[in-house]
Amino acid sequence: MAERYSGIREKRPYTYNDLGDKGDKLAADFEKRCIKNADRTFSQGLQCQQINSISAVLSLEESVFVVHSPQGCAGCVTMGADGYRVGQAHRGVRLIKSPRVIVTNLDQNDIIHGGEAKLREAVKLADERYNPKLIFIFTSCASGIIGDDVDAIAADLQPESSSILVPIHCDGFRSKICASGFDAAFIAIQKYLLPKQPPVKQKDLVNLFAPTSISYKDQLEIERMLGLLGVKVNYIPFYSSLEKIRQIPAAAASTSICKVFADEFMKTLEDDYGIPYAHTVMPIGVRNTDKWFLGIAELLGKGDSAREYIEKEHARVLPKLDAIKKRLRGKRVFICGGTGRSFAAAALIDDFGMELAVLETPTYDADAQIDIDYLNGIHKDYVVDIANMQPFEQVNLVNALKPDVFIGVPSWSARFGIPTTHVLDPKRATMGYDGILYLGEKIADQIENPGFNRKLAPYARLPYKKSWYDSDPFKFIKEVE
Amino acid sequence: MSAVTEYPRGTCVLGGVNATLSAINRICTIYHSGPGCCMQTTAGEGAQSGLLQPYYLGAVSSPCSNMLEREVVFGGEKKLREEIDGTLEIIDADAYFVLTGCTAGIIGDDIEAAVSEYGGKNVYAVTTPGFAGDALLGYEIAFQALFDHIIDKNPKRDEELVNLIGIFPYHDAYWIGAFEELTRILQKLGLKVNTFFTDNQGIEQVKTASSAALNIIVNPWRLKKFAELMSTAYGIPSVRFPGVPLGATQTSAFVRGVGEALKLGGGLIEKVIREEEAYVYHFYESAVGAISWKRFAVVADAGTAIAMTKFLADDWSLSPVVTIVSEPIWSDKDKQYITEQIRCLEFARSPDVFFLPDHCDIRQKIKEYGGITLIAGSSLEQEVSLEIDAQHTAVSFPISDRLIFNRAYAGYRGALTVAEDLFNNL
Repeated sequence: MAERYSGIREKRPYTYNDLGDKGDKLAADFEKRCIKNADRTFSQGLQCQQINSISAVLSLEESVFVVHSPQGCAGCVTMGADGYRVGQAHRGVRLIKSPRVIVTNLDQNDIIHGGEAKLREAVKLADERYNPKLIFIFTSCASGIIGDDVDAIAADLQPESSSILVPIHCDGFRSKICASGFDAAFIAIQKYLLPKQPPVKQKDLVNLFAPTSISYKDQLEIERMLGLLGVKVNYIPFYSSLEKIRQIPAAAASTSICKVFADEFMKTLEDDYGIPYAHTVMPIGVRNTDKWFLGIAELLGKGDSAREYIEKEHARVLPKLDAIKKRLRGKRVFICGGTGRSFAAAALIDDFGMELAVLETPTYDADAQIDIDYLNGIHKDYVVDIANMQPFEQVNLVNALKPDVFIGVPSWSARFGIPTTHVLDPKRATMGYDGILYLGEKIADQIENPGFNRKLAPYARLPYKKSWYDSDPFKFIKEVE
Repeated sequence: MSAVTEYPRGTCVLGGVNATLSAINRICTIYHSGPGCCMQTTAGEGAQSGLLQPYYLGAVSSPCSNMLEREVVFGGEKKLREEIDGTLEIIDADAYFVLTGCTAGIIGDDIEAAVSEYGGKNVYAVTTPGFAGDALLGYEIAFQALFDHIIDKNPKRDEELVNLIGIFPYHDAYWIGAFEELTRILQKLGLKVNTFFTDNQGIEQVKTASSAALNIIVNPWRLKKFAELMSTAYGIPSVRFPGVPLGATQTSAFVRGVGEALKLGGGLIEKVIREEEAYVYHFYESAVGAISWKRFAVVADAGTAIAMTKFLADDWSLSPVVTIVSEPIWSDKDKQYITEQIRCLEFARSPDVFFLPDHCDIRQKIKEYGGITLIAGSSLEQEVSLEIDAQHTAVSFPISDRLIFNRAYAGYRGALTVAEDLFNNL
């Protein structure tokens, strides 16, 4: 992968992050290859790729995480660490621990003279304190710009360390797409951790790649479903280990439960180890669950038993959807989320007969086009906002289009008094067929009981000028060379 | 100056500046930084101190130039100007502060020059980049920026107005409660209180800081320079208390200290103290013996370490064992003063005092002591509490496992809240 793919998502052909238009228009333009490269001349804060790189590996066992940066770049580590603690609690761990994160704490002096000495000190500390199996080293904007040669320093330190040193190149300024950070982590895993000699093949082993936002309940449900196909799951990388990572090449197939997680890595595994993969969708909603399950089952030559199961589940679940449909049919929905969940939610609402008003998702590319084509077949006249958050565009669109419900991070839309809900849920399974019923009930309940948002709205104080609400929401998106 | 640190408590200067300024009503911070700094700094401050986020602008709603490779190579000043233009067009704020990320700081963008083009539009620059230090330094830098750009240069003295400073918004998880409780007490003394961060105070209140009769600083060592500036420029004296006063003993000393500094009548001071103490002790009387005896450790920033150690020892007769100051402090003089403050207890034996910002050092140090049954620290100390089978209560940054609005761990009434949280019948 290192030779073939840079790890920078926007460098892949026909990838766009700054775009806004009607769904049918975008699909047609994309088809004709006439979407122009653009940038926002005004924007709000993004998520940097370092955040994703760290979150991808933070729950690995017997690991220490060295963040080679000033103190602030560990800000989101704390968020990931909270998730790690909750994940341990859900998994029944009693002595819940914090991830071992060591920050080199680059300061003015290091910016001028280089941060090498502190990086060496941090790696030695990691070894002395924890004698871990893995020491990950994350780069940052600061370490990248001052030109610290992290690979060389790690190579130099490696003989003295009993751990495997794994530098991950995730300088924030190198990518606008935070999912690049997942790729950076997998590039490093491939380079430093996968065995050169592939282990003995296990015919019943499947690599299941899942991002940090997947709850333990969802993990169990997905593992259960794959179990029906008679396979064992190698769940990577959450609450996983070096041993499980080393088993990756032994698998008979790979799949992911997020569109932008390990997609490039699975290609590499196919090239290097001949492991076929299913890259489909996040298994939320009837269509997506079918598609995801069939995708991996067909690869394993178990399409028939998957179809049998799907049929049985449809017979069980679809009648129960009718009651939910009655509550939700025709409601106009604004969806905002990361790539995987936004498209999953968009497919889900079709199960309930809801209408798509706006889809806000970070990236438009060939993969997104598949889903947009599908959505164009169902919904008319909806808006696509290709944006990573950018709440200023979101509030403009919510105000103008007045959707009946908002699905996503509710911080801003709630203040318009409309019901808000989310397809993320850490406590219950949202994936698979029972997940559909759970999410349906959740969405219906939250729409029918909007008291909190309604009562909040008269007191809400959003920071935008009145004139902004009368402006074109995409006016700051300007064509660039 | 900074050291390699395991699990540092708090983010960088940028995080501290933003946490402070964004707590002032209707202020807009504009990040001239790489694409992750808005999220990193707010995830690492507000989200780690009781989970509140600024309602107006913060995290991914803060305007940000999101500097990428092109800006790093060719300079980001053009992108910054566009960002400021866009911000002024759509964001309705009373003042705009351009903050500097590492990226802009290292490549040397001339932010002052860019900002100077927006004369009369209330756009100001804070050019201290993230790598210059930790978040609490950022708190001081923010006050410097307010002094430089906002505070009224031609004040009219208001003898009843005081500036209450030294409580860190979005870092001290109990900041809102502390401001509210201390304001309540100071108002009983007939004073008007500038907190700048609560009760919808905004730019207008910041401007009046130079009219105040007194700065009341509730921190053992921060804001020395600000106090000096206020004294030199506007002749405003400062009175310093070693932490946010907590419990009857400390708060009565606080009331007397303020009364003395402002030469308020002794009758009023003692009347307020009697009323307030009676209120607290009435409750204590109803719960004698409810808080069982404990040998305790404290892990906190310097101010909280002092206040909490003294409160548990002096007011609740619990036994201090070790107090660890987890905020990085470099000056020996400051360390000595803080140590003296922690060790100066009324009746109890003084605890050992250490200055350890590193999470592993903190865990190890606590484990060196046997018989600790309570750790009053951050959420991070939950882990060592489980290891040594001690009770844990979250009093200091970071607190990420409970939602905190205006819960006060300060003053008279806050003492009751701390005691409520300390009760444990296990």
